[in-house]
Amino acid sequence: MTGYKPSYFNVFLTFARNSLVRDMSFRTNFILQCISTISWTVMNIGFYLIVFQYTDSIGKETGWGRDEFFVFLATTWIINSLVQTFFMPNAQQFSELIRSGNLDFALLKPIDTQFAISFPRVDWAALSNLLMGIILLGYSLFQLTTKPENPLILDWRAILMYPFYIVCGTVIMYSVMIILASTSVWLGRNQTLYNFWFYITNFSRYPMEIYKVGWGMALWVFFTFLVPVLLVVNIPARIMARPLSTMNSQMWQLAGFAIFATLACLFISRRIFVRALKSYRSASS
Amino acid sequence: MPMALIELHNLQKTYRVYQKKEGLRASIKGLFKRTHKDVHAVKGIDLQVEQGEFVAFLGPNGAGKTTTLKLLSGVIHPTSGTASVMGYTPWHRENDYRRRFALVMGQKNQLWWDLPAQESFRLHQQIYGIEPQQFQNTLDELTNLLDLRELLGQPVRELSLGERMKMELTAALLHSPEVLFLDEPTIGLDVVAQHNIQQFLKYYQEKRKITILLTSHYMKDVAALCKRVVIIADGRIQYDGSLSGIIDETTNRKLVTLQFADPLTDQLMNSLKRFGTVVRHEAPRVTLGVTRDDVPAMLTAILDAHDIDDLIVEEPPLEEVIAEVFTRVSESSAVQATEDGNC
Repeated sequence: MTGYKPSYFNVFLTFARNSLVRDMSFRTNFILQCISTISWTVMNIGFYLIVFQYTDSIGKETGWGRDEFFVFLATTWIINSLVQTFFMPNAQQFSELIRSGNLDFALLKPIDTQFAISFPRVDWAALSNLLMGIILLGYSLFQLTTKPENPLILDWRAILMYPFYIVCGTVIMYSVMIILASTSVWLGRNQTLYNFWFYITNFSRYPMEIYKVGWGMALWVFFTFLVPVLLVVNIPARIMARPLSTMNSQMWQLAGFAIFATLACLFISRRIFVRALKSYRSASS
Repeated sequence: MPMALIELHNLQKTYRVYQKKEGLRASIKGLFKRTHKDVHAVKGIDLQVEQGEFVAFLGPNGAGKTTTLKLLSGVIHPTSGTASVMGYTPWHRENDYRRRFALVMGQKNQLWWDLPAQESFRLHQQIYGIEPQQFQNTLDELTNLLDLRELLGQPVRELSLGERMKMELTAALLHSPEVLFLDEPTIGLDVVAQHNIQQFLKYYQEKRKITILLTSHYMKDVAALCKRVVIIADGRIQYDGSLSGIIDETTNRKLVTLQFADPLTDQLMNSLKRFGTVVRHEAPRVTLGVTRDDVPAMLTAILDAHDIDDLIVEEPPLEEVIAEVFTRVSESSAVQATEDGNC
């Protein structure tokens, strides 16, 4: 018998290390991936710079001016890149493991199966977006804090809450993905993951205020309370981009709800994952 | 009575499969109304295996061998019945259990395709929490025995099938499992690679006294490794005993090969047919299938009447005997099905 229990952290480090070794062995592919990711973000900025040629803010009197919105955009990138680096390739792979029957090996390992399928691959190239996000965040915060009129004063509470809510947002996205990928057990095949990701991030990457008119309200309720992806970027971005003193009580309530939503998503995804494993059929031999 | 290391009681596994009919129209219909069929992969298996045994599962494709191994590894849940391996219920998937056994599948690989095998081994070290010194010792031993030392640094995708299988075995044995399930570990390998793996398994099992369940389609694997053979066909155990016992129990024929000094005339051939069926005829040799009890009388008669240069009396090849068993089972289950249908 072996002496000690496995350290999940060390296992994760080995996963990350192996992924890096693998990525490095396809060097050109890795570089191309980084370039295409960064180009996409640069085009994104370009697009919004054009938008802000025509308007001063996203929505009337919402407080999302150009630099505030760039904080929002940077937050989107940071969360997206975390999800794409750590979870997207694995959720995709999990779905494939179920279809091909190779999930067998994950089930044999003496570690938590959800851990074993959630982390084995790290897409290091997607991390370039994180860097871009941090640069954009730094730049826009500099602009906001140094503008001559009504400069933003950075609040230490905001600085603490921001990374916390980034983590919450990432966890919500991860949970939604695990739920979707788990359905492959019953559906046999579920390749809607990337499409779904695209649809969802399309909704989540704008300030939630824009939905609160007319029939948009229905979208707002759905993506806030049922599939809480609107909270993912909105909460941390709001906390960071504008003074906490101007946050209304509804926003504070939503910030509280976001914590609950994170835990609920995690709990539900765990339940669905465990159910899925019970129904796993292990395709072919 | 103390429990055996592995105990199965009336283990059953039924899959529900979607019946897809041919053609576009049927496919579209299938979108709205699906018909399902129950496939009984394992129909009730009872089995006891003691510590240190090396047992072979034989059976035709789809007989339920792999399903049984998957149930024992806890990869899938049974429909009914119980199983205990070292006191654990496999499908509860306790970490303590998972530390103590391994499953190797000839058709699936677990090593990272784009990485050298040693990176995957290191991952196993972390996952199983193997102490560095012990890990290094085990790895050295296995790579020496399997002659893999030079290949550790090569990406798995560049290895031959045989080399990859050896790497898979190494990966599975790094944590020194007490029970090993092998599902067709030599499938698709050439004779030399098969032989190497057989030799390794034999040596390793004798040295470590671990318990191994093996499925294979190669009789050579089975003959070289296992004293005990379990024939599974149609989801049930049809035979459980020694390899030689299969021949005793399922056939009463012997093969008699005669090499004649006299020319093989038609008349001679006709006279031979009295004793049994001609299995092979390559002049001057003739091989006859003869009922066991008739062999002495036949030999006396022939030796009296003819000049014989050479004489061999042997058991029929295992493959043939086992094929006979398989055929018999599938025929009887077909009869069973018709009878069930009539009820």
